[in-house]
Amino acid sequence: MKCAAAHFGELMFGLKRKVDVLFVPLIYSLPSVLRGHAVDSLACPRVMAGPEMARAGFLREKDLFAEAGIRYVAPFVTFAEPALLPRQLHEALEGMLPGLTPAETEAAVAAGLAALERFDAGLRRRSREVLARAAAADSPVILVLARPYHMDPGIGHEIENDLQARGYPILWGQHLPTDADLMDWLFGEEVAAGLVRSPFDISDVWPSSYSANTNEILWGAKVAARLPWITGVVRLTSYECGMDQPTFTPVQGIVEHSGTLFFSFQELDATKPAGSVKIRVETIAHYLERASPGIIARKRALLPAACPLTPATAQPAEL
Amino acid sequence: MRIVGLDVGSTTVKAVLQENGAVRWRDYQRHNTHQAEKVLEFLARMEAEWRLEPGRDRVVLTGSGAGLIAPLVGGRLVQEVVAVAAAVEHLHPAVRFVSEIGGEDMKTIFFTATEAGRGKQIYMQAACSGGTGTFIEKTARKLRIAPEALQAMSYAGRTLHKISSKCGIFAETDANSLLKSGVPVEEIVASLYEAVVYQNLATLTKGNTPMPEVLLLGGPNCFFRGLQEAWRQHLGLLWAERGVALPAGATPETLITVPQDGLYYGALGCVQVALGEAAEGAGTYAGRERLAWWVAEGQHEAKAKEGGAALGGDAAALAAFRARYGTIQAPRPARRAAHDGPVLLGSDFGSTTAKAVALSTEGEVLHTAYAPSRGNPIEDAKALLREVRQAGFTKIGGLALTGYGKDLLRGILGADEAVVETVAHARAAIEVFPDAEVICDVGGTDVKIMMLRQGTVADFRLNSQCSSGNGAFLQGVAERYGIALEEYADKAFAARAMPALAMGCGVFLQSDIVNQQRKGWAAEEIMAALAAVLPQNVWIYAGQLNNLRAAGRRFVLQGGTHRNLAVVKAQVDFITARVPDAEIRVHPHAGEAGALGAALTLRDAWHPGLRSRFRGFDAVEALDYRATTTEDTVCRWCTVNCKRSFIDVRLPGAAGRPWSKVPLDPGWERVIAGNSCPKGLLEDANEMRAVKAAMEESQGASPNLGAVVRDEAFRAVGLAG
Repeated sequence: MKCAAAHFGELMFGLKRKVDVLFVPLIYSLPSVLRGHAVDSLACPRVMAGPEMARAGFLREKDLFAEAGIRYVAPFVTFAEPALLPRQLHEALEGMLPGLTPAETEAAVAAGLAALERFDAGLRRRSREVLARAAAADSPVILVLARPYHMDPGIGHEIENDLQARGYPILWGQHLPTDADLMDWLFGEEVAAGLVRSPFDISDVWPSSYSANTNEILWGAKVAARLPWITGVVRLTSYECGMDQPTFTPVQGIVEHSGTLFFSFQELDATKPAGSVKIRVETIAHYLERASPGIIARKRALLPAACPLTPATAQPAEL
Repeated sequence: MRIVGLDVGSTTVKAVLQENGAVRWRDYQRHNTHQAEKVLEFLARMEAEWRLEPGRDRVVLTGSGAGLIAPLVGGRLVQEVVAVAAAVEHLHPAVRFVSEIGGEDMKTIFFTATEAGRGKQIYMQAACSGGTGTFIEKTARKLRIAPEALQAMSYAGRTLHKISSKCGIFAETDANSLLKSGVPVEEIVASLYEAVVYQNLATLTKGNTPMPEVLLLGGPNCFFRGLQEAWRQHLGLLWAERGVALPAGATPETLITVPQDGLYYGALGCVQVALGEAAEGAGTYAGRERLAWWVAEGQHEAKAKEGGAALGGDAAALAAFRARYGTIQAPRPARRAAHDGPVLLGSDFGSTTAKAVALSTEGEVLHTAYAPSRGNPIEDAKALLREVRQAGFTKIGGLALTGYGKDLLRGILGADEAVVETVAHARAAIEVFPDAEVICDVGGTDVKIMMLRQGTVADFRLNSQCSSGNGAFLQGVAERYGIALEEYADKAFAARAMPALAMGCGVFLQSDIVNQQRKGWAAEEIMAALAAVLPQNVWIYAGQLNNLRAAGRRFVLQGGTHRNLAVVKAQVDFITARVPDAEIRVHPHAGEAGALGAALTLRDAWHPGLRSRFRGFDAVEALDYRATTTEDTVCRWCTVNCKRSFIDVRLPGAAGRPWSKVPLDPGWERVIAGNSCPKGLLEDANEMRAVKAAMEESQGASPNLGAVVRDEAFRAVGLAG
């Protein structure tokens, strides 16, 4: 919301090249790996309504969009129900793209979703590669549990870069691998025992699982608690986020339950708190360096001997 | 008829008595918060020495403390800027711009010629310390510069450094880090003057150009030679830049004047205002009786109405508190005749003091040492180690460093460990309170709150950008009242009531204190109130922890500020009000917890066969170094252009830096200080390339998926057609 108002102003008055259309979809729901396993995968209400609030500021005294010759297009979109997307977008766009057909819109939506899937799959594959290397060397990995906006350098301040510079690979909860073999290794026993319905079921820790990003943070915490090589979790929060507040205690509790270290950066400032970040990064590195071998060993002992991340040791029978 | 002009300011009272156009009597004194008492004293002297007479003579008052006093003596109240302007108009008809800088405020007056005479445009700010006398004095105190020396320090020709001009608190921090990187105090003071002039011009000109002639008024402008030079330099440049024609033969030096009696312009202006009004107007002196009544009784009645309960509570509560916390501080270990075994030395190079703890290999605290920080880490280290050696500990089994100076000194002293502050503090806390959950460390310039989980620091709040909760602020106020820090608690507990101070920015707190003084609250009452407001500032304002309960139940209070029992009392009251079942302990080595924690961390990894890297007392004592801060040491990696300092230390076997812009012979090691990011630790492009390659290599081996997303999701894609 804070970002949106400034962006509107910049796009309308700051650019040399004139903007014709301000396309600001009201995103109601999101695609999510937990879709079907959680109650819903809605966007945060502020994300959905934020653009409308920013827009209101530009209409208060007079219609600044009309004055600047800008068409404001804000369709309501449901990414979690992709079948509805072509119609939602066609209705919004046909006025500004004369001759746009429903079939063209449908094809564009399909291409877009496929690109998103490729992007996600690529990142999940890379995360798995990182974990496989860590498993082979029994070396530690750090997991960041945060909102997607924390990947923006202006919001997350690239804090995790400083940890990476100290030799720790950094994974993000949004792009953890979801392969069946790995999920089975981590959650198989609990699914078999009927404790959860699937590896992606978070109802044991978060019953009101409506929000897509919140759900993924909770699920990421469960993965972190189980995966031996994730020895430290870094939690980032900003903007006094109302969706994050109730998750602080459960996320921390889940992660720490297995002895995994938990470090939280709450209420990240708008300006990079460099001095404090430096001290905290040194603090995290200090504890991780000392505690990681023990954490890896303890968590590894709780899981089945055959690990899909280290197939050579996992399947000696095939040799 | 005599006319008295009284300027009741935030730190001083100035008075003039004029008769038949001539000043017969004048005086200027600090009031030490007793404004009414000082005014009463002045009036009595004027009555005795110059026959000031009630019912005949007139009294006109101005200044931040005048509002309360004027009605008590029948005086006429004049706004400060109006008073100053009146004096300037009378005494200096050619002046077009006035800067008056006071202790806690600053004003500018622009005079313009209009058809109806001279027009006045007045700007004033009193909400922020940036640009005021306090701004200079606060920092100078910190730099340990005597007032006389400060007055004589020059500006012209000095190398200037970046000091935040916006806030006195930030400026102090900047000055401190400049000092730590070896910048001479003269250059820091010159930079302070630069910041003051900049701030006055930036906030109080509002688009107007200060035209000649210029008058500089108020204590700081009158007393500080360097500040006058800074004004001349800046206004001279400004006039040249804006094409302001100077009268023939005139220079900025001759056009900018500082009158001898510049302190009295507020008071003199009061007299001018009175002269311009009919004699029978308001302001006929009513005598001293009501003011005397106010001093003796009135102020106590007024404040009793609005005051809060005593900090100490009733006698029983205070006794119970003292029984529980009064003797918690460990006594300084008795000096031993001899300690044969090796000692593990932990040293904390903090912002205000350097501390050391000597630990036996069994973990017993054998000795604690202090050296006030003089800002030069190498000198601080020498002083500290000298003290340890003199105490008889010569066999060093290991040396661990913590605090701001740890990285800088590690190689130079040959330390075995550089322990980050949080870890050191947590280690010290766990030693006395193994299941501690929250550590609150209130030090000299920063506040640290650490939340512990599983014996590690899981969450950490550092407040180094705001002084509101820190110990230096408390110390500063105590110093202003001339009360030793050791007596703080007894004074505060003696107060039977205290004013309610507002939580928040230290600068506003400071003006709130001035307000309370004005209402007649005495030093000890304000000190009690200041201790009482500290926990709010620490936990809520600085730490942003509104829900203390969620942070934990077991609290450890550390840091030198918690040696002050008044602060401990306030903390205990504050915490137990929110967490009724809280267990609160004060670390027995509160002041040295960092150093102790460093030593304990070292001890965790220590075993008898370990060889320390410590260079030895003689080698450290003989350390030869020089500090360079010039254009050549400025960091050019980004546009911030940090003013770095190169501290070059003679170390046997060091490679030197013949390729450097500031070449270094073999046998010398360079430590770079004053940089604000790790990039600045690198001197030039060659060094950068090597480090970058190493960084990229490590990034390849340990990727950051967030960075991959940043690169790939926001990659620009060319569209076909």
